[in-house]
Amino acid sequence: MASFEGFEYEVIIVGSGAGGGMAAHVLTQAGVKVLLLEAGRDYDPVSETPMFQQGHEAPLRGVSTSDKNFGYYDATVDGGWQVPGEPYTEATDSRFMWWRARMLGGRTNHWGRLVPRFTPADFKPYSTDGVGTDWPVDYDEISPWYDQCEELVGVCGDNPGLDDTPSSSDGVLLPPPKPRVMELLLKSACESLGIPAVPMRRAILTEPKDDREACFWATPCGRGCSIGAAFQTTTSVLRWAMNTGNLKIVTDAMVKEVHLDEAGKAAGVTFVNRTNRADVRVDGDHIILAASACETARLLLNSSSETFPDGLANSSGQVGRNLTDSLGAGVSGYIPALRDRPKYNEDGHTGNHLYIPWWDREGQKDGSLNFSRGYHFEVGARFSSPGMGVAGRVDGFGKDAKDEIRSSYGTSIGLSLRGEMLVSDDCYCEIDEETVDQWGIPVLKFHWKWSEQEINQVAHGLEWGKKIIEAMGGTVNNPDRTAEDAIEAGGQIIHEVGTTRMGDDPATSVCNQWGQTWDVENLYLMDGGVFVSNPHKNCTITILTLAMRNASRLAEQLTA
Amino acid sequence: MSNIYNPKMSRRESLKRIGTMATVVMVGGVPVACDTAEPEVNQAPVTPSAGHWPDIKLDAITGPTYGTDPIVSNPTAPWPLTLSEAQRDQVAVLSDIICPADDRGPAATEVGVPDVIDEWVSAPYSGQQRDRVQIINGLQWLDDEAQLRFGSSFVATSVEQRIEIIEDIAYRSQIEIDEFELPASFFSRIRRLVFGAYFSSPEGIQDIGYIGNVPIAGDYPGPTEEAMEHIRQVADTLGLPPITEYVNR
Ligand SMILES: Cc1cc2nc3c(=O)[nH]c(=O)nc-3n(C[C@H](O)[C@H](O)[C@H](O)COP(=O)(O)OP(=O)(O)OC[C@H]3O[C@@H](n4cnc5c(N)ncnc54)[C@H](O)[C@@H]3O)c2cc1C
Ligand code: SF4
Repeated sequence: MASFEGFEYEVIIVGSGAGGGMAAHVLTQAGVKVLLLEAGRDYDPVSETPMFQQGHEAPLRGVSTSDKNFGYYDATVDGGWQVPGEPYTEATDSRFMWWRARMLGGRTNHWGRLVPRFTPADFKPYSTDGVGTDWPVDYDEISPWYDQCEELVGVCGDNPGLDDTPSSSDGVLLPPPKPRVMELLLKSACESLGIPAVPMRRAILTEPKDDREACFWATPCGRGCSIGAAFQTTTSVLRWAMNTGNLKIVTDAMVKEVHLDEAGKAAGVTFVNRTNRADVRVDGDHIILAASACETARLLLNSSSETFPDGLANSSGQVGRNLTDSLGAGVSGYIPALRDRPKYNEDGHTGNHLYIPWWDREGQKDGSLNFSRGYHFEVGARFSSPGMGVAGRVDGFGKDAKDEIRSSYGTSIGLSLRGEMLVSDDCYCEIDEETVDQWGIPVLKFHWKWSEQEINQVAHGLEWGKKIIEAMGGTVNNPDRTAEDAIEAGGQIIHEVGTTRMGDDPATSVCNQWGQTWDVENLYLMDGGVFVSNPHKNCTITILTLAMRNASRLAEQLTA
Repeated sequence: MSNIYNPKMSRRESLKRIGTMATVVMVGGVPVACDTAEPEVNQAPVTPSAGHWPDIKLDAITGPTYGTDPIVSNPTAPWPLTLSEAQRDQVAVLSDIICPADDRGPAATEVGVPDVIDEWVSAPYSGQQRDRVQIINGLQWLDDEAQLRFGSSFVATSVEQRIEIIEDIAYRSQIEIDEFELPASFFSRIRRLVFGAYFSSPEGIQDIGYIGNVPIAGDYPGPTEEAMEHIRQVADTLGLPPITEYVNR
């Protein structure tokens, strides 16, 4: 037992986002005492979320600025593509964008809550197509944990039974909301092309659950959800963990180093108290890092010692390597058939009710595709509250122009491609020896390069996006755009994982399948860093599930 | 005090006149996409190949922004407004040419659009500062053009005379005409801002027919029967498979 400010605990967790929040919940429920260190400020979604505030009440009608990259009301505190005073750098010819937030709950306060499961093939990419590396776990081992995690988090959706959409056990999912007209038309258009459009799985309560309320079908979830219907750790797992009395949270605690004892075990960490810049050292019997994939890698690389000159737990040299993000590109269009359509409330859960899962595994098997793996399309198409972009298409002026906007508003559709990139030697992060942040901590430098695999996949997506929009009787904006132009920057999809990957072999991986580092037995990693590959399905439900599973094992050991 | 347009909201600070010296090109390290919800490619004004363009150089406004942790449940904009009275009058006249009152909704000035434009061009963000250069120059161009054609300022010309000028720059195709390239680009931008500000106002939201931002108990109701009937017809007309409603559970 160590103690801090009179609180006795066994485990230190660094980071209160998806991984750290879930680990805190599991451990404290089991009776384990936990000290949680979070770099960001304390944050209370119940009092701070601008639920019903409208664009016209905000500066600049709430549009994005360099202060608030996703709009004024977005629930990001002191973050976005840049964190004040905490830069990162890019290698020459590399473009990488790193989204961070400095608040309790991390990025779970404003994430999209899209939560598709990985498939059996996703865990065994090498065995499936001979490319990349297999995970040290398979779907059958993880699937009961997916069930448990989905049950706890609260996920709406259904089980369409496609090979890209593994089913949850009966009774796990909450019912999905009805699709809106644009989504129904999309589904029909997809059917005509022989591809599926099915309910999106989202971590949204469509029915009340435990002490949380059901979604009331209004207010953008990116602002956070004061009633707890959209999953974020600050309204669920962290609150429950606090209620056990077994958790102490320290905010404004930026951890900068993990210490070892003489026996080579992790002994504690030093954090910078951001309110007074003082270094504070705390001890711990077990240490869990869940600071997000890149922050955790940074922390390990900055914790070098005589035993680990290249960074803590980095005898494999893999810390910071194997960095991947989802591949991103957008196809948008205009659907004239929906001009002047009957109006009704299309808010729904404010995200997409349907999506297009990957449909062409056969194409991969028979070699007719010029890329590995696949992608899905998320759908943006609803009659939402009008903002500064309403007049993007209109020409002229006066009543005609005004009428044109009235008629055409709500007729645009956006398909967002989210694809699987392959792990590559070209994509990684390392410590930039020349730059430190405002706390004196050396920062990350990112290296990034897309390969033909990604370009080909985007080209395929642009072609299919066009087909889908044309099948809806629509026209595509920018039909001549090339894949090279359309592909978004590395990191821009905010699904960065892989920097501390798990494996069966200590020579090629940083931790085992339980997130336990090979080099330091009481040091655990519980964020997306542990991913071996990055299937196109949004990563966070798998981060949550692995954290739940691996923290459960640790809890068993500590309470045995 | 202006006799054309009275602000709908009080000025946060007394007017600051814009200096017209200095040559600062405003491009922050910020990607364009970060400054407008739906960015439109805009070029900083340059000397036109034909016609005239004032090419006023402006110092970028560098005052306080709202920062990375504003109190979002109680919004405020910390920067002072900077349009001169004459410029605001011009914006008011132009706003109502772009977005006049009609049978379905009020005019731009009735819902405070010029205030929004003033707040916009005065905001110390790179995208807004780029807009400011274009808009201040565009307003000056309108005055210069009115002087050349009719011997008076833009707001002092007759309604017909104003429309005559606007007709030459209001269409995207006119960006291709050398002499109107920059004025027509300016018009395209201010049209976007005016309609954006109008339709995002409480009156505009109602005008466009948005129904939402209200809590609903129970299941999401989904499309109305009328909306379902309409979408079935659309699918039918397009020769698509029939619309099937998803059954929950
Ligand atoms: C706008 C947006 C939309 C998204 N949409 C989706 C989606 O629909 N589906 C999906 O699956 N994923 C989505 N994501 C990604 C998702 O948010 C992340 O995958 C997830 O939050 C990662 O969890 P994490 O615990 O690893 O990190 P985070 O949630 O980022 O939490 C890490 C925490 O650790 C803290 N921390 C960092 N360094 C230190 C340090 N040195 N000391 C102490 N504390 C530290 C941070 O401040 C932070 O609070 C989205 C992300 C964003 C931003
Ligand atoms: S749409 Fe529903 S889940 Fe999302 S923020 Fe609003 S109430 Fe919460």
